[in-house]
Amino acid sequence: MFLHQRRGRLAVASTAVALLALTTACSGGAEGEENTTGEPGGSLTVLTWRTDLVEDGTFDDYVERFKTTYPAVTDVKVEGITDYEGEVKTRMSTDNYGDVLAIPGSVTPDQLGDFFEPLGEQAELAQEYRWLADKSFEGTSYGIPVVGNVQGLVYNTKVWKAAGLTDFPTTPDEFLEDLAALKAADPGIDPLYTNYKDGWPLTAWEYYRGGVSGDPDYVNQMVTWDDPWADGRDHEVIDGLLYDVVAQGLTEADPTTTNWEQSKQLLGTGKIGVMLLGSWAIPQMQQAAVDAGGSADDIGYMPFPAQADGTFHATAGGDYNLGINVASKNKVTARAWIDWFHHESGYSESQVGLSPLIDGATPAALADFVDQVELVEMNPAPQGKESLFADIDTASGIVTTDPKYRQKIIDDARSGARTKQQVFDDLNAAWAEGRADVDA
Amino acid sequence: MTRALTATGKYLSLVVASVVTLLPLVLILFGSFKTGQEFLATNPFTPPESWGNVANYATAFTRGGMLRGFANTVVVFVAAITGTILVGAATAYALDRFRFRGRSAVLGLFLLATLVPGVTTQVATFQIVNGLGLYNSRWALILLFTGTDIVSIYIFLQFVRAIPRSLDEAATLDGAGHLRIFFRIILPNLKPAIATVVIIKGIGIYNEFFLPFLYLPDPDLRPISTALFAFKGPFGSQWEVISAGVVITIVPILVLFLLLQRYVYNGFTSGATK
Amino acid sequence: MTTTTTGAPGPVDAPAPATRPAPSGAGRGARRRRRAVPYLFLLVPVGLLLLLTYLPVANMFWYSVTDWDGLARTKELVGLDNYVEIFTDPDNVRVFYVSLYYFLASFVQMALALYFATVLSFRVRLKNLWKGILFFPYLINGVAIGLIFLNFLKPGGGLDTVLLAAGLDALVRQWTGDPAVANVTLAAVSVWRYTGLNFVMFLGAIQSISSDVYEAAEIDGANRWHEFRHIILPSIRPIVGLSFILAISGALSVFEIPYVMTNGGNGTETFVIRTIWMAFNRNMVGLASAMAVVLLVVVLLVTWVQRRVVPEQEVDLT
Repeated sequence: MFLHQRRGRLAVASTAVALLALTTACSGGAEGEENTTGEPGGSLTVLTWRTDLVEDGTFDDYVERFKTTYPAVTDVKVEGITDYEGEVKTRMSTDNYGDVLAIPGSVTPDQLGDFFEPLGEQAELAQEYRWLADKSFEGTSYGIPVVGNVQGLVYNTKVWKAAGLTDFPTTPDEFLEDLAALKAADPGIDPLYTNYKDGWPLTAWEYYRGGVSGDPDYVNQMVTWDDPWADGRDHEVIDGLLYDVVAQGLTEADPTTTNWEQSKQLLGTGKIGVMLLGSWAIPQMQQAAVDAGGSADDIGYMPFPAQADGTFHATAGGDYNLGINVASKNKVTARAWIDWFHHESGYSESQVGLSPLIDGATPAALADFVDQVELVEMNPAPQGKESLFADIDTASGIVTTDPKYRQKIIDDARSGARTKQQVFDDLNAAWAEGRADVDA
Repeated sequence: MTRALTATGKYLSLVVASVVTLLPLVLILFGSFKTGQEFLATNPFTPPESWGNVANYATAFTRGGMLRGFANTVVVFVAAITGTILVGAATAYALDRFRFRGRSAVLGLFLLATLVPGVTTQVATFQIVNGLGLYNSRWALILLFTGTDIVSIYIFLQFVRAIPRSLDEAATLDGAGHLRIFFRIILPNLKPAIATVVIIKGIGIYNEFFLPFLYLPDPDLRPISTALFAFKGPFGSQWEVISAGVVITIVPILVLFLLLQRYVYNGFTSGATK
Repeated sequence: MTTTTTGAPGPVDAPAPATRPAPSGAGRGARRRRRAVPYLFLLVPVGLLLLLTYLPVANMFWYSVTDWDGLARTKELVGLDNYVEIFTDPDNVRVFYVSLYYFLASFVQMALALYFATVLSFRVRLKNLWKGILFFPYLINGVAIGLIFLNFLKPGGGLDTVLLAAGLDALVRQWTGDPAVANVTLAAVSVWRYTGLNFVMFLGAIQSISSDVYEAAEIDGANRWHEFRHIILPSIRPIVGLSFILAISGALSVFEIPYVMTNGGNGTETFVIRTIWMAFNRNMVGLASAMAVVLLVVVLLVTWVQRRVVPEQEVDLT
């Protein structure tokens, strides 16, 4: 009996092994071959969040030009991903997340080295590129931003003019009044659009932190506080505005039926008053306005409605950072793609962003904004504390990079399940607990 | 009097149910033939201006990767169904025709496994599939479709039992080995079971979203369900095109259903009751 | 190779293999080879079963007591922390609450299916047409269904238009946007999708009743209700039991419809949406595994209770 059982178990074990061998053998061919020549060549897989540019052929053009520069490159496969953060995070549980990809926002600084190939010393790269601190850890950079953003609000100029509004609102309350005026002037519009269902546009709200107070050390300070949602601190202002604007019915009536592509159209045609998005959104909105028969001038950009010392501030920083999969088999070509993308592709110009290159120019569309607004570049965390913010953020369960955090605020503002103060109290309690957990 | 009333009630309820079932489908069909402007401007119940407007279908096919989606689905289907038939029939043959040590243990293992809903274990299964190096490969789907289908095994068990043992014995007398018996006698006599499994499983594979969503992100390998889902991203504001994509996924299954109605019903009734 | 030679204690309710020719002059080697035959046939199926069902379940239990993030090579044992976390975070408990909507909906679904199965088991005009229409939604891809109903339920969509035309303006809602009705809406879509399957299964069971039984009943003066109560209902009891179990695991594994329609927002997050997010977006594989363990235990428990409460003839497996 015993012997029989053992044999059974052995058989099972050997089946598993056989299956394993069989299946790995089958899948082996699917992956690209290792490029060891030291010269860019072979095939490359690029993951991008810009499904619209994959769709309209812009990326095909990039690929063609890249292959012209590097004739040994046989194939560049560009995968556009709609739910970029979610899907790439899943894929990062495996080795299979392309060769070149934008580093998801939820990757914490101390994880960078586990997933991404070092691109160089931060100090050295900084002579050429800006905003490296965000995706650097202990002096090594793992990603380079594709473009620089300033954080403001993209709005439809015609709609605001029609409501008789000409000046940028300077306080959240004034902003709320303005939105109410937009609604009064045309009850058919949604004064502000949150893009609740897609989720990721809500994470953009996080990057007004530091811009409200104009304090480049805001994040470094935040890790020392137990109550960032109090005393008029940036998070209280930002999330308070979100709560109020939803509670006062100034946002889309049914947030579960929102759609990103549609929101561009709606803003372009003046069915939406304003959206809180980085400056990267401007060209897409302008395009939508033009497509709908309007003009690029219908789209304007205003600062977050809060002033410190009588001046508007806006944070400036990198957009998505391109990095290289640490398990990539073609790192040389991947690196060539990143360098080519930053220098040759023309992406950052086409996106009306600030150039990630040190000597890049400020685009005309932003010149006006930049005139009235003082730009703030956030200071990096002091040495040894690079991952402190992320650690507290994760331990607290708030996770500012996750859309759920602000979706919940919207849920509560709509249903009244929690008052604004209760929301703040819960967030402060969670943050304090997170700080205690990581012994900050 | 009451008879007439019940008859009216009966037909009324059937008509209501049919309207509820068909209305959402009809509106999608209407939408798929409208132009973008028309879709936004007209009432959902307004029929399209021109039934000849196939521009949305063209877009869905050329830019939505629908054809590739169908091809990928077919590849996975053929491989998985072959695997399922062989696995199911082999299991059924061994369990029904032999008495051996551990037989009841094996039966118990299969019975217990029916109680474990597949989705609950995906977090852990993901690690195994990834460990096998199958993430982002069709083999992940084929393996999972083949290896976790216990219902099919039960269907085969039922049918193997109905194959007279005298057939095996006659073959043994002719000197056939077990493999030969399996392939020459058991499998051919399992045709009705195979038809049932092909239908149930085929529909399951065609409609499966969760597994390809989790395991197969590569746009070149996407089956029809994730292709349709991915299509929704960049075309989010063009519901007339999404409608066309939806209709495209429904038409093949509708045609097959109309052709094979009897088998489909039989498949589900026998599959469910056995 | 008969039952007696191996002396297997296995169930022998199936007729024992008829006598077979004794191994004619075969040696011990041949006999051993023959004894190995069933094992060889079972090698791959059982291997797959262990690899894809039992190994994940075992791993799941193991992960659930660790803080594993799905990436690191090491896992710290954290005892029952994950389980405490599940029951103290209201967002985690909520997914079980959401599945109640789908569970209750499955009773509506079975009732509808039973009604139409009974109606169509009697003489009806256009029987095949009705049957086809009712069953067809089950054949449609879940993603397509999600999109169809997004289109149908959006503000100003098909349903609103119908309600307005019928003068029922007061009933118009944000079907997925109003937190009070969102889960009901999604569960209703699920009923639309799955009623056809239940219906065909019930109809199959009813039609397998021999017509003699009905004739005998009619001679005894039974009316339709009596027929339903005393003939139809008992005959489909096993299939109702099966549907019940499917309803439980179905309610807990809802994914496509809420994922496509609301992305789990507005309080419609289901177990699968949350565990996937937890395990992969948040890298909390330990916690997600603990959720899965809880779910598995719930399913097993309910199945066991159901078997105790509604004892039925043991499913014949051998």
